[in-house]
Amino acid sequence: MGKTVIFAVAGSGKTTRIVEELGKGQRCLVFTYTEENVLNLRRKIVQRYGGLPAGVRVMTYFGFLHSFCFRPAAGLRTRARGISFADAPPAGRYNASQESYFMDRGGRLYHERLAKLLIDRGLAEDARARIDRFFDLVCVDEVQDFAGHDFNFLMGLSGIRADMLLVGDFHQHTYDTSRDGSVNKNLHAGFSGYAKRFRDAGIEVDTSSMAHSRRCSAAVCSFISDRLGIPIGTLSERAASVRDVTSQDDADALWRRPDVVKLFYQSHSKFGCASQNWGASKGEDHYDEVCVVLNPKTLALHAKGQLSTLPSGTLNKLYVALSRSRGDVHLVPQKLLERYKSG
Amino acid sequence: MTTALASGVDEGGALAQPRARIQKIVLSNFKKFETLTLDFDPLLNIFAGGNEAGKSTAMLAIDLALSASRSKVEALGVEALMRKGAVEAFVAGGKKPDALPVFFVEVYLSDFPDHDLCGRCNSLHVDTFGLRLSCEPSDDYAEEIKQLLAEDGDNVPFEFYAIKFHTFAGAPYNGHSRPMRHLLIDGAQIDADHAQREYTRALYRSHASPSHRGGHENRYRQAKNAFAAEHLAELNAQLDVKFQARSSSKSNLESDLQIVEAGVPLESRGRGRQALVKTEFALARGRGAKSEAIDALLLEEPENHLSHISMRKLLDALAAAGGKQLFISTHSSLVCARLDLRKVIMLGGSGKPTTLRSLDKPTADFFCKAPDNYVLEFAMSSKVILVEGDAEFILISALYESCSQSTLARDGVHVIAVGGTSFKRYLALAEVLKVRTAVVRDNDGDYQRHCVDNYDGLLGNQARVFADSDNRRSTFEICVYEDNKELCEELFAPGRRTLSVKDWMLDNKAEAALALLERSEGRLSVPDYLREAIEWARQ
Repeated sequence: MGKTVIFAVAGSGKTTRIVEELGKGQRCLVFTYTEENVLNLRRKIVQRYGGLPAGVRVMTYFGFLHSFCFRPAAGLRTRARGISFADAPPAGRYNASQESYFMDRGGRLYHERLAKLLIDRGLAEDARARIDRFFDLVCVDEVQDFAGHDFNFLMGLSGIRADMLLVGDFHQHTYDTSRDGSVNKNLHAGFSGYAKRFRDAGIEVDTSSMAHSRRCSAAVCSFISDRLGIPIGTLSERAASVRDVTSQDDADALWRRPDVVKLFYQSHSKFGCASQNWGASKGEDHYDEVCVVLNPKTLALHAKGQLSTLPSGTLNKLYVALSRSRGDVHLVPQKLLERYKSG
Repeated sequence: MTTALASGVDEGGALAQPRARIQKIVLSNFKKFETLTLDFDPLLNIFAGGNEAGKSTAMLAIDLALSASRSKVEALGVEALMRKGAVEAFVAGGKKPDALPVFFVEVYLSDFPDHDLCGRCNSLHVDTFGLRLSCEPSDDYAEEIKQLLAEDGDNVPFEFYAIKFHTFAGAPYNGHSRPMRHLLIDGAQIDADHAQREYTRALYRSHASPSHRGGHENRYRQAKNAFAAEHLAELNAQLDVKFQARSSSKSNLESDLQIVEAGVPLESRGRGRQALVKTEFALARGRGAKSEAIDALLLEEPENHLSHISMRKLLDALAAAGGKQLFISTHSSLVCARLDLRKVIMLGGSGKPTTLRSLDKPTADFFCKAPDNYVLEFAMSSKVILVEGDAEFILISALYESCSQSTLARDGVHVIAVGGTSFKRYLALAEVLKVRTAVVRDNDGDYQRHCVDNYDGLLGNQARVFADSDNRRSTFEICVYEDNKELCEELFAPGRRTLSVKDWMLDNKAEAALALLERSEGRLSVPDYLREAIEWARQ
């Protein structure tokens, strides 16, 4: 297999692609950034194989970084005891040769600098050797989440003997594993520069094999391609539409339906219905119909046919929200739901 | 029938690759050991040594670390496990909180497929597989510890110590995630009620998988409930409060189980039989379902309570126990020699533990087959005089006193009588163990051939052969007679008709020796070669 990163589109079966790879009798290490996605992976693996296949281990990225890479390599010669998700001291307060740069007073390691610590102290080499000792294949899901020092560490892993399968969707970049000042600040600024980083690390870039969504209908995909400027093809043959909701009655009816999730830009819980935020709906794949609520700014751009000019963070979240549905998508102006808002 | 473990395995041929092996233990401040490192054989390890040498301590360390039972450590007490010297040094050093004594036990294991056991979280900082039990002051009670230390006296706050079980990857482990199944059988505690229960429980767990156990427990509880429903219902119907069969951790299947042999509960059998049955029971598995089998069996002094015949039987069972890693502590030369001398780890003394690993195979085989031997007695001594027969053995103590003005016991010199053909075997042992060994023998009529050429190349700095260089003085009796003619004639001439006194002594060696010992009244003069041997041995 070698080392490959597959850039996939929403609903093209990224996670399934990894799950299929785990049934081939190899010793596989799988990690991904969010706890939610770990649970999601585990669930799909258990569904597919009736349990975790022998030799397969699934962990969060920071679990991997701390418990697999750091702790076994540092041994007893560190007073570190766990990991801190609080902000590290700002750049300039300490320099990287000082313990306080990496660790708080209680001995907890700052998560955003742990990858740097491993690289600086030569422990990344141990981590690579350790992977090769125990695994034949490393899979990373939602690879677009990697940022800051974590991205550098991930690229450094390409020196392992084991195969690597990284999957992700550049346009679903809504989270960062961590940030640290200016490190990799412009990593996600453009796809071509981003993809080059993988190629430079010796990882083959595949943008074609998962360019088609199995989940999203032709209508949704062409809306995303045309209006948002994010290329996405479809394999779905389901008849569906993207519909603008304009009347208060229609909006009320949708608000009342428990089977249609309302996806908000933010503060979804204030609207008292079945809801979620755009970004946080990433990974959800069981909706037959969704209602994407457009805040005033987004609505205005939509009206002018200029959604593609949204700031990339917002654009990506909207893309995530639109691509949740297997069927119809209702676009509802947020002002029609303001009447239900509390707090 | 050969009982050597190694050859038993060879004959077995297709022995399954062992599942898990203990390669090494490292102890620090544990009981009597400031530090101790022991390397292990993958199949058989025999701990030998005198009393208080630390044999049981080594076994205990392995048991505690593998059991991962906090309550087991607590029951023994942190204070009792912590080396006294470490505590004294701490108190003498001014009781600084950062200098509080810490003990640990590290068990280094053979390769596992699981990375959770692998890493550098060990005192050697080596990247390998293993488990670590450590006992150190808890960070959570830093304040309490500081206050207690500020008080006068030698109060060490062991109550605020944390007992930790970590793998070498730094991950916690517990009794449920035990990577190695082991069982400790302690001959000395064989009939203690608690030990009996623990043993039964451990054995049940090692034979039944967790899913089996869950099923058994569930059925047992159902049966109790069914009993209550059927037989207590009538009684309960008349009562406001009801009777019910108890089901709890103190009253369940595990607590009610007992081991039965031929219909008789094991605890009702004699101690010897108990020891034997338990060991055989523990050895029995290991060829079936691998995941359930015992990987390591720890036997404390298996010779306790056993007759010679039972001992032979046990040794045969042990020798045939392929697949498990055995740890045996013993005082018995028989156990050491019959199993395999090369697997013996000698503990105690002041120096480092020594092993007989480098002993050559013919020598190990010789002691394995020899009719009787004094291997441990020899190995535990620092100075030895080896003599050929009973007569020398009987007289040597008196001769020693007369030429040294001291005693064998005071000088720490051991005398062992071995057959003349065994000398070379003991010399091989002496070489490995660095035991100062004086061989005292007859020249049998050819000093050069029997006493010089014969040992060419076998004598290191620590061994020498002493014999009379005059070929006419061919035996011990002749030498004694020649050097004590007057005394011997006086003692033995009366009653002699056909034999000369010298010939009578040669024909009745032991009797003559006893008579000399009892009736010579200090007038015995010591043959020169014996005097030399004694003077050399006691240096």
